[in-house]
Amino acid sequence: MVKGDEFALRMEGITKRFPGVLANDRISLDCRKGEVLGLLGENGAGKTTLMNILYGLHQPDSGQIFINGESVKIESPAKAIQLGIGMVHQHFKLVEALTALENVILGLPSTRPPMLDLAPARTRLLTLCEEYGLRVDPSVEVWKMPVGQQQWLEILKALYRDAKLLVLDEPSSVLTPSEGEELFRAIRKLTQEGRSVIFISHKLGEVLDITDRITVIRDGHVVGTVPTKEATQRELARMMVGRPIMMGRKTRPVMTQKDPVLVMENVNANDDRGLPALKNFSLTIHAGEIVGVAGVDGNGQRELAECIVGLRKRTSGTIRVKGRVVDRVIDDPSFVGFIPEDRQKTGLVLDLRVSENLIIKDFADPPFTKRGVLQYDVIKKHARKLIGDYDIRTPSSEVQVRHLSGGNQQKVVVARELNAKPVLDIASQATRGLDLGAVEGVHDTLLSERNRGAAVLFISTELQEVMSLSDRIIVLFRGEVMGEVDGEGADVNTIGQMMLGHALEVAA
Amino acid sequence: MEADQIISWLQATLRWGGPLILVSIGEVFSERSGVINVGIEGIMLFGALTGVAISYFTGSVVWAVLVTILLGILLGSGFAYLTVSRRTNQVVTGLMVNLAALGGTNLLFALLPATRSERVTTFPVLFPESFHSIPVIGPVLFKQPVNTWIALILPFIAAWVLYRTTWGLNVRAVGDNPQAAATAGLRVVRLKYQAVILSGIFAALGGCALTLGEVGYFASGGMTAGRGFVVLAAVVVGGWDPVKIALACLVFGAADAAQLRMQTVGSDIPYQIFQMLPYLITVAALAGLVGRTKPPKTWGAPYDPADI
Amino acid sequence: MTNTKKLKEFINFPGLGDLALSGARPLFGVLLGLLAGAGLIALSGVNPLDAYKALLQGALGSPQSFSNVLVRASPLLLGGVGAAIGIKTGVWNIGTEGYMYAGAIAAGAVGLIPLPVPPIIHILLAFLAAMLFSGIWGLLAAYLRAYRGVNEVVTTIMMNYVAIYFVSWMVQEPQPMAEPGSFFPMSKMIAPTAKLPILMSGTSLHPGFIIGIAACILFFLVLRFTPFGFRTRMLGANPEAARYAGVNVKRQILFALLIGAVMGGVAGAFEIMGLKMRVYMDFVAGVGYEAVAVALLAGGNPLGVIASALFFSALKAGGATMSIQTGVGAPMTVVIEALCVIFVIAVGYGERKRLERLEKKGKEDEEVVQNGG
Repeated sequence: MVKGDEFALRMEGITKRFPGVLANDRISLDCRKGEVLGLLGENGAGKTTLMNILYGLHQPDSGQIFINGESVKIESPAKAIQLGIGMVHQHFKLVEALTALENVILGLPSTRPPMLDLAPARTRLLTLCEEYGLRVDPSVEVWKMPVGQQQWLEILKALYRDAKLLVLDEPSSVLTPSEGEELFRAIRKLTQEGRSVIFISHKLGEVLDITDRITVIRDGHVVGTVPTKEATQRELARMMVGRPIMMGRKTRPVMTQKDPVLVMENVNANDDRGLPALKNFSLTIHAGEIVGVAGVDGNGQRELAECIVGLRKRTSGTIRVKGRVVDRVIDDPSFVGFIPEDRQKTGLVLDLRVSENLIIKDFADPPFTKRGVLQYDVIKKHARKLIGDYDIRTPSSEVQVRHLSGGNQQKVVVARELNAKPVLDIASQATRGLDLGAVEGVHDTLLSERNRGAAVLFISTELQEVMSLSDRIIVLFRGEVMGEVDGEGADVNTIGQMMLGHALEVAA
Repeated sequence: MEADQIISWLQATLRWGGPLILVSIGEVFSERSGVINVGIEGIMLFGALTGVAISYFTGSVVWAVLVTILLGILLGSGFAYLTVSRRTNQVVTGLMVNLAALGGTNLLFALLPATRSERVTTFPVLFPESFHSIPVIGPVLFKQPVNTWIALILPFIAAWVLYRTTWGLNVRAVGDNPQAAATAGLRVVRLKYQAVILSGIFAALGGCALTLGEVGYFASGGMTAGRGFVVLAAVVVGGWDPVKIALACLVFGAADAAQLRMQTVGSDIPYQIFQMLPYLITVAALAGLVGRTKPPKTWGAPYDPADI
Repeated sequence: MTNTKKLKEFINFPGLGDLALSGARPLFGVLLGLLAGAGLIALSGVNPLDAYKALLQGALGSPQSFSNVLVRASPLLLGGVGAAIGIKTGVWNIGTEGYMYAGAIAAGAVGLIPLPVPPIIHILLAFLAAMLFSGIWGLLAAYLRAYRGVNEVVTTIMMNYVAIYFVSWMVQEPQPMAEPGSFFPMSKMIAPTAKLPILMSGTSLHPGFIIGIAACILFFLVLRFTPFGFRTRMLGANPEAARYAGVNVKRQILFALLIGAVMGGVAGAFEIMGLKMRVYMDFVAGVGYEAVAVALLAGGNPLGVIASALFFSALKAGGATMSIQTGVGAPMTVVIEALCVIFVIAVGYGERKRLERLEKKGKEDEEVVQNGG
């Protein structure tokens, strides 16, 4: 018997580099047989890349994977399945037009080739449903199934393949509390049978409830592994988000003028899948104030920003900016300035030139258009001025934005959105993917916006920059405000707890 | 209308609907896998010419069919290479295949002067003469050449393959969600190739049935006369189900037979109405006016294996 | 040094630089297409160089032959620029064939009425009718795409066939437009006042190509220098950003498809009033699809449409001479056309999209990771 035999999985020194960056940096972890291992980390920490490597969707640059003590090379999902690895992706990999049963047997060899052998498969699936208490109707098409059942189906799919190691990626994010209970019962049954489960989550409570050990990942490397019995919420939260703060808090003048600019009352909105993303959201931002929105990615931040800009229809509630109701995109640059989350998708037209990108909202207005003709000399002059003012590094105003670096692309967006001195600025993950110097630049710009009297909504998943920049901080969790704290003297642990779904308590 | 007119109309319905059904059998798999093969019109044209040419040279319809199948594999592979591997726009690629086929068949046809006028060996009639005199079904069914019979049986086999075999399930999965299919361990690109090549084979055979089924000669240029597009229409109207598509093909074949008859006999109703019918019904079906028809989710979209 | 500077200026001049850069890939594809065509010609036992020489001579050898090129270029220019606007907007307008029929039948209907008006008025009325009718014809597919999200490719193709049979119906007795007692169904001849002037005696050179080239230049300027063009380019390059910038996406798509329809109608009207003088079924015979190919070859750039339309029409016009002098069948030119387009899309288009995706993917991964923590 080799020593590795007690481990269902060992990953050693896994490194994965994407162009320019390190996604996984010498990650090592292991999972015993019959154990639930929690994999904890913020979105983007590298969990998903690691699991995609385990499932054969990516190849690691270096490092080794051992299944039951044997070194393996997993070059495709088919190989992973063969090795007894089952994966339930956060975004389900189900074929919606097919029935539950057809999804379960998809990719498996038939017992009676070339025909499908549905009858025994159906019996086996129903037995599994019964055994694990996960109820699914085999003959219903997936698109007709509620999300919770789709989750069961993904798990059943893996079990049907007799997965010895089951990876669940954020499984509870789509489940109701009672469904969550059912899931936990099923997981306990799995481990009793000697199967292993890797439970990926950023929710501390449930990780503490269901796992035996917890491995915390941050910035692509392992922070530590602790037995669940010895772990506390506070300690885990610190491991996950509590880096020492490198940037000091920005000093700022006290603003006297306090007119409300953005007033949101009981706003509800859905995400792209039609599920509620913002729930009874109310917020007021005054002139000369930066309100920071902290929270783990995917808790309604994107929908919040899009609602205010008018890109997303709200289902109820009101949004007013300076008293004017927002119900569609308002292409007046002096109204709302928006630095979007995905600048290449929403903020820029990569195939157009820098000068053209600087006027995409007001190109049809004078002085850029006169008598129905675009005035390229004015547009160029305008561009040259902004390139100077905002220090955009580009060979000329007439190159395609595509050719600029990420930081300079962001400067193009910032220049366009803020140049007309809008009454409200919305910055949504505005520093994502930028190097430190560029980050600093964005921060300074937003602060000077505040100081000239603009209302600023600063949305970021980087807690430290929220704390460094905001006058007030609200924390979003599942589309709801968990609490609000003053930016001055805010406590990282308090906010960290709220980010993980614990509403603000007086003693927290 | 007289009884014998109705009988000859029904007979013509099957004669014109049959080749459409043959072509649709392949197209439904291709579209189910996510690839719209608009090139079937051109492949039909090539198949029609090849059938006549080989039958002329060898005097054997078996050889004609075999070579036609080979041609279908060749053209289908080419189309799959362009649309699946090179990820070119499927519709534009198909239109260019049609254009090339129009020119190509004209060129090749000019090289075969002998087939211009002579009739070549055509597909045999399956049932003996004695069956032909049975009232109604005798002339309508038993007098039909073998290819019509095959066309009537094939949709059921195709439905069986699509819904009851592993391969059929895989094709359906690939067209709806290729990423999920790949995650389940399926080889998406290979499946798409197989489905597209199948559409090539059946388009070529359908063209062959057009020439060797009845007329026995090739008419340069307009031999297929947009029938490939009628099949595309039938696939939409039939909701991507082989049997329903076959019914649509028969309805369109009936319209075709009716308008051909009206052209020769003359009628108060303009025959062009019947010619427009398949296309108008298709637009209506897509607009959601006639039933609800939903294409496969990645219909016409390229698949990039790099996307996870 | 000054040379590089000049080159830079040239590249930075609005439009021209893009054209030159985007022109490289199509040229490469066309070259491959011509090579493949040469292979086919060689297979048929003819020296490809001789064949291409004859083709070139047939297209450009004399003023008469070049006038033939220009006559054939007319529908490709007019229809092609309409389809090009679609490509720039991000929609595939394959309906040009049908719009040409629609425009032709309307122009023919107005043209054959003997109106007591000067020719210029009669001609303008006929064009107006053509544009109106083809616009209405295109409205169905355009509306369905813009407001109901119905795939425009399939509907426009289907409407092409409806148009063909509609025309066939209209020119058949007892319809009033039909020529009585003709062997082949066709409309009556249009009135002399509706006939376009011939620009060069002894040829059938009508002003269609001039209007076609003018339309290409006009649309180039519109795309480049007007807010409408700006919206179009924005929408075609990034629909999401266009929506954010306040563009009414649905209306813009509707307009783009309607422009294609109206331009196709003009192309059809020119064919009737300048060349055929009457309407009959099959008079277009695939030219509409070729116009789409022209637009594609040009990558949607209106100036590129001029180049690719002339290339296509030169191929076709030279085909006859090639056939007579070398025995290579004239349909070979159609095959070469198709091969050129196939090579262009196989070499250029797919590859560029793939690179874009790779580039984007790299950046996304980068961002995700840098955000981690």
